[in-house]
Amino acid sequence: MTETPPQTAEPPAQPSWGSAGVGLLRTRLTRASSSLRALGTLFALGLIWLFFALESQYFFTTSNIWNILLQAANIGIIAAGLTVVMIAAEIDLSIGSLEALAGSVAAVIIIQHHQPFWLGVTGALGAAVLAGAISGLITWKLKVVSFISTLAMLGIAQGIAFLLTNGHAIAGFGNPYDQIGTWTIDGFPGAAIIAAGVFVVLHLMLTRTTFGLQIYAVGGNPEAAAYAGIRPGRVKLIALMISGLTGGIGGLILSSRLDAGNGLFGAGDLLAAVAAVVIGGTSLFGGVGSVVGTAIGVVMISSINNGLILMNVPDFWQQIVVGVIIIAAMAVDQLAKAARLAVR
Amino acid sequence: MSAQPKQSGREPVLEARGISKSYGAVQALTGVDIALYPGEVLGLVGDNGAGKTTLVKCLSGVLRPDSGEIHIDGDVQGELTAERARTLGIETVYQNLSLVDTLDVMQNFFLNREIVYNNPVARPLRWMNRRRMYRDTDAHLKALSLPVDARRPVSALSGGQRQMIAVARAITWGRHIVMFDEPAAALGVRQSIQVLNFVRSMAARGVAVLFISHNMQHVLQVTDRIVVLRHGEKVGDLATAGATAQQIVTLITGSELVVEGQDISV
Ligand SMILES: Nc1ncnc2c1ncn2[C@@H]1O[C@H](COP(=O)(O)OP(=O)(O)OP(=O)(O)O)[C@@H](O)[C@H]1O
Ligand SMILES: [Mg+2]
Repeated sequence: MTETPPQTAEPPAQPSWGSAGVGLLRTRLTRASSSLRALGTLFALGLIWLFFALESQYFFTTSNIWNILLQAANIGIIAAGLTVVMIAAEIDLSIGSLEALAGSVAAVIIIQHHQPFWLGVTGALGAAVLAGAISGLITWKLKVVSFISTLAMLGIAQGIAFLLTNGHAIAGFGNPYDQIGTWTIDGFPGAAIIAAGVFVVLHLMLTRTTFGLQIYAVGGNPEAAAYAGIRPGRVKLIALMISGLTGGIGGLILSSRLDAGNGLFGAGDLLAAVAAVVIGGTSLFGGVGSVVGTAIGVVMISSINNGLILMNVPDFWQQIVVGVIIIAAMAVDQLAKAARLAVR
Repeated sequence: MSAQPKQSGREPVLEARGISKSYGAVQALTGVDIALYPGEVLGLVGDNGAGKTTLVKCLSGVLRPDSGEIHIDGDVQGELTAERARTLGIETVYQNLSLVDTLDVMQNFFLNREIVYNNPVARPLRWMNRRRMYRDTDAHLKALSLPVDARRPVSALSGGQRQMIAVARAITWGRHIVMFDEPAAALGVRQSIQVLNFVRSMAARGVAVLFISHNMQHVLQVTDRIVVLRHGEKVGDLATAGATAQQIVTLITGSELVVEGQDISV
């Protein structure tokens, strides 16, 4: 599909384009500031690693690093889907509940009804994608912002998960379901490989396909996207279905590792996922961001949680630290934005 | 549909009849008829709020008129969407621009008409040939004497440069009908002249051009015919040859005498 534009007659000679030199400088500064942002995040991650390495001899052992990656896997997967939604200038607050929903659906199908593995997996992913589609359709057709539609879905999905499991944990998946989140290659966690696969697929989708470009366009300026014949509501619907799918995959891994399905499993993951996305530099206002940044953010969150455990810091401190990190990341971005505007 | 001065023997490529559009209580357009002919530059003038932008958006499929018909190449358009208008070869430069600041020049240039690799794996995935698109964008801009790097983010361009990118995009892709809503508003003198030249050369290629401007000089210079809107109604449709600025201003404002400093609202 190549459109050949018609030839244009010769334009007037020597149009002045006076500000070109200044513009080039601006390009460099804009580019530099976004790679500076990434470098800054990596630098912070290095400092955190250094700190924990000094605090705990165990931190930099192979088995602990594998452990960090294992813990990063399902948060990372849901954070990757959330990144796509946030680039489209929407949000998905339901991702933690979708994990619970997927795990519960799988448990009911496989454990309670003794149905085959593939049916459980398909049912779990299908339920999560359907939930994302419902949020997306409500946002598109009823013009309810996704903050509200997915907040409602947060409650609905978790409620359904509790209904399905009667409020208990349904346990005992057995082989092969219990392998999804626990397989290893020479000790390296397979869940981290699945997560890496999700990141690679979403990264390529965002940067290499026309749909990815539509997501950035719709998030950056929905009006201009609509003028170009893109339907913003449709793009946002698909973005929310993608985060539904990643919520489902996260739920499979989580329920497999816990070998049970329940309405509570995953419900707390939203906070960590949002933290990972904002640390990774994805804009809350849409149009800007990458899953590569989110991957760095997830490793950072996971490292902090792991390091705090090694230092025997009580569990509840982790939540406080993650909350503070979200605020710090946003503050850094606002300062950087102010600096960029000052340059202009 | 009788007030239109017929163009000798030519059929209009776009013909709108009885277009009405209201925003809630505001009646922006009332029963407007307008026709665009191939190779002709039609000026659309009127005061602020006269309904020019609203009319352009109805013709480009961005807004749905409350009533009226739009015919393109003789076919009545049941529901004209932005997507459909585009596939029919209609391009528009909107007054508030229509670039995505967070994307770069190439991504805006090729927005929703990206080049994808033509092989059985890449095609269904809609896998973009980015190198080719950067090269083509650079070439198109160069052909229009606009030395802007296709990789520059639009947020790093000046207001006038952005405007020129929007104009260049419409000129490059507009095969059939191109509509400009105040294309020269943010432009310097040289760039304005450049845009006027683009408009004429497109018409010479047989493209039908709609040109909105508040600058009477530009309108008289570049158009073949002028339609005047006042308060959402068409109050004039005249050939540019023979028309005077005074005559058009009178139609725009609706008052016979225009004295400097006088309140000229109707
Ligand atoms: N989105 C909107 N919502 C409500 N009213 C609107 C909207 N857009 C335009 N209007 C109203 O419709 C009328 C026509 O507006 P329009 O933008 O078409 O005028 P215009 O001729 O393009 O003016 P200008 O020369 O200032 O660009 C005005 O009264 C305006 O206030
Ligand atoms: Mg206007």
